[in-house]
Amino acid sequence: MYNLHLSEEQIAIRDTVRDFVNEQIKPVTLTPARLEPMDTPVDLDLVRAASELGLRTLALSEDAGGAGADTLTCCLVAEELAAGDTDIAAVLSRTAALGGVLFNDLMNDAQRDTFLSAFVEDADYHLALADQEPDADSSLGVNYYREAATDAPVATTAKKDGDSWVVNGTKIRIANAPVAKLFAVVVDTGSGKGVLLVPADAAGVSVTPTPRDGGWFHGSFGDVAFKDCKVPAGNMLGDAAVSTLTGGNCEFGLPQAQAINLGVGRAAYEAAVEYSGIRVQGGRPIIEHQAIGAKLADVAISLEVVRDTIWHAAWVADNPASGADGNFPALPRAIISQVVTAEKIYRAAKDSAECFGAMGVMRDMPLQKYIHDARVFLHSGSGVSDARLRVAEALAGFQRS
Amino acid sequence: MDFSLTEEQRAWQMKARKFAAEEIRPMSLERDAIANPLDTWDWDIIKKGSKLGFRTAVVAKELGGWGMDYVSQAIVMTELAKADSAISKAFSQCWKWSHLISMACTDDQKERFLKPFLEDDTFVIGFGQTESNGGSDNRLPPPGDVRAGARLSARRDGDEWVLNGEKQFIANGSVGKLFFLYARTDSSVPLAEGVTIFMIERGTPGFRHGKVYNKSGWRFYQNAELIFEDARIPDANRVSPVNGGLKKDGDSSGDMFGDLELAANGLGIADDACESAIEFARTAEQGGRPLKDQQLVALKIGRMKMLTEALRSYVMRVAWEHDRKMHSTNAGLVMNLATDTIQEVSELAMDVFDRGGMAMSRHADKLARDAFIWSHLAGDSVQRLKVCGRVLN
Repeated sequence: MYNLHLSEEQIAIRDTVRDFVNEQIKPVTLTPARLEPMDTPVDLDLVRAASELGLRTLALSEDAGGAGADTLTCCLVAEELAAGDTDIAAVLSRTAALGGVLFNDLMNDAQRDTFLSAFVEDADYHLALADQEPDADSSLGVNYYREAATDAPVATTAKKDGDSWVVNGTKIRIANAPVAKLFAVVVDTGSGKGVLLVPADAAGVSVTPTPRDGGWFHGSFGDVAFKDCKVPAGNMLGDAAVSTLTGGNCEFGLPQAQAINLGVGRAAYEAAVEYSGIRVQGGRPIIEHQAIGAKLADVAISLEVVRDTIWHAAWVADNPASGADGNFPALPRAIISQVVTAEKIYRAAKDSAECFGAMGVMRDMPLQKYIHDARVFLHSGSGVSDARLRVAEALAGFQRS
Repeated sequence: MDFSLTEEQRAWQMKARKFAAEEIRPMSLERDAIANPLDTWDWDIIKKGSKLGFRTAVVAKELGGWGMDYVSQAIVMTELAKADSAISKAFSQCWKWSHLISMACTDDQKERFLKPFLEDDTFVIGFGQTESNGGSDNRLPPPGDVRAGARLSARRDGDEWVLNGEKQFIANGSVGKLFFLYARTDSSVPLAEGVTIFMIERGTPGFRHGKVYNKSGWRFYQNAELIFEDARIPDANRVSPVNGGLKKDGDSSGDMFGDLELAANGLGIADDACESAIEFARTAEQGGRPLKDQQLVALKIGRMKMLTEALRSYVMRVAWEHDRKMHSTNAGLVMNLATDTIQEVSELAMDVFDRGGMAMSRHADKLARDAFIWSHLAGDSVQRLKVCGRVLN
């Protein structure tokens, strides 16, 4: 049954993370020292502290040593973390989501034996999915409703050499690359696409962090080059990995990413409500003026609508059979949620910042950062325009062969 | 109806366009990327622009300036802003207050301040209005509230006034040589009845600037705190009647200029967004075809252009009305239209520049950051309400 009433456990996790964010993350991240510089790397000490709270292994099954959280719970956590810092949220959310799908679903026993204990025990152990390649066109755009493959051929190759795979190629703008200890690398095996597990310390792997300059990403991004990188043959994941983790319509991790954006909007909203209750102009707190009150109401309405779409998408991800009986229109809920979230949170962040007057654009205040963060979400992945086209293809029943 | 420009207007436009393309554009992104807000300003570009007349353009010819009309002012601000909105504003901020010198200053004040302003290529001007206590309250003072609004105190002491207090977010605060100030000369009455306008020069003992604000947009243009600790100025620096700083009568074209200024500057951002997006859509390809072949890209650019040309029509109409000393609500309305237009247009430009998960064009990013300043430089809600007040009353 469709039910988004949070369990006691979910509420407990949410509140624990909220306290952690208020007590440990915000006092560090919402300070001028961190907000003003153009180049602010992720605070890895705080990522480690969150990891020790179990947030890095959140989606890993309890048997394997994780919290066994479902997608909805991961979204609750991502929203809370992002209300304190989008970078910390992005790094942890990526590792948690990949950790869940890789160790719970996609690895065989031998692979788990090789990688699981280090992943569970090392608080600095992060995961990355190395998919995007230079010059590869990942946008839908011109290929809308056309049979032309949107999945560009994979240029990174894995060649069998005895009982090893030898990997060559380059991946760009890979989330978590600079902090990852294990990569799931999308490769061309000669007989099709495959996903290969490559430890970051394998010979022939080099990572170049993407400069923060301009800052059009959340978390920690980097390019990864593989040069005659040799890994055991047993590191190749099964075929399910290809359909789960790759392809233009892949929704893996999408609800969690929207939850991070929601956290940005909520942080902006909470700051605006608090300030509007204190700031007196025109003889009364500005929240008592209709113009500001209505603006904040719009922000609150947006947050509620957005949260509903994210939770719905997460619930569908957690209940994959739910669509089979015609319960919901057969539309990609995670992509619908992406469009709604990106557009509404951007507007919400701008409206919240406006309540602060000139301080809404000052770099020592977080409001301008919330706007920037929300802008990045408008253009992350392949952007909202592309997401809208993907919904259009789905509603028209267009399917790529 | 005649939309053609005079030869003189056209000449200003060409001069501004050349200066913008050759001198401002090449430095725009570089200045924007400087992390320390104290270092974004560049005197060379101010001097070069000053020699071409862009600093002193609006001072009347008989007073030694260029006597530029409002239509030319709008055109020049737009042309300069098309290369860098913040640098355009650095010049036009001087126009705003040289309007006031011409309009409200005594011959003695003109001699003491207008002359050096005309002669010194690095003489820029600012105006101290906002304080931590009063942003919106200075613009739309609540009637009857003696506590609301500016609190910088000016106390009479013989032939002098003694200033104490602080201003914040003051444009050109760190670089200006002369500032106009709203000061409270009677704190027992509401703002509108107790404010006097003064002038103070940089270097006056007891007067200094404090921190330079670190803005997310308009980074070239410096806003700073102004700090007054027993700063003494002669009564001869008083511009308005005592307690008469906010009592408006007669020609208030200097005041109207502020709205036209922001609208015309914004139009430059919109022009830049359109041109760069069109160029990108023509040249960048996806799947072997230019982006412009995609309907969504074409529709976005169509909307950008439509909004931009509508803004241009309104800006030029307001400039034309100003030249005819016609007072209307249009100046305030066009400022609000500019805010809405440039934010939408710069956001659409980012959409056009969106390359599937790649970093955003720095140029498009800057336009959006600059455009967002419009919601924050006059208080968005209060600015709109003020205009509504003019429409309704």
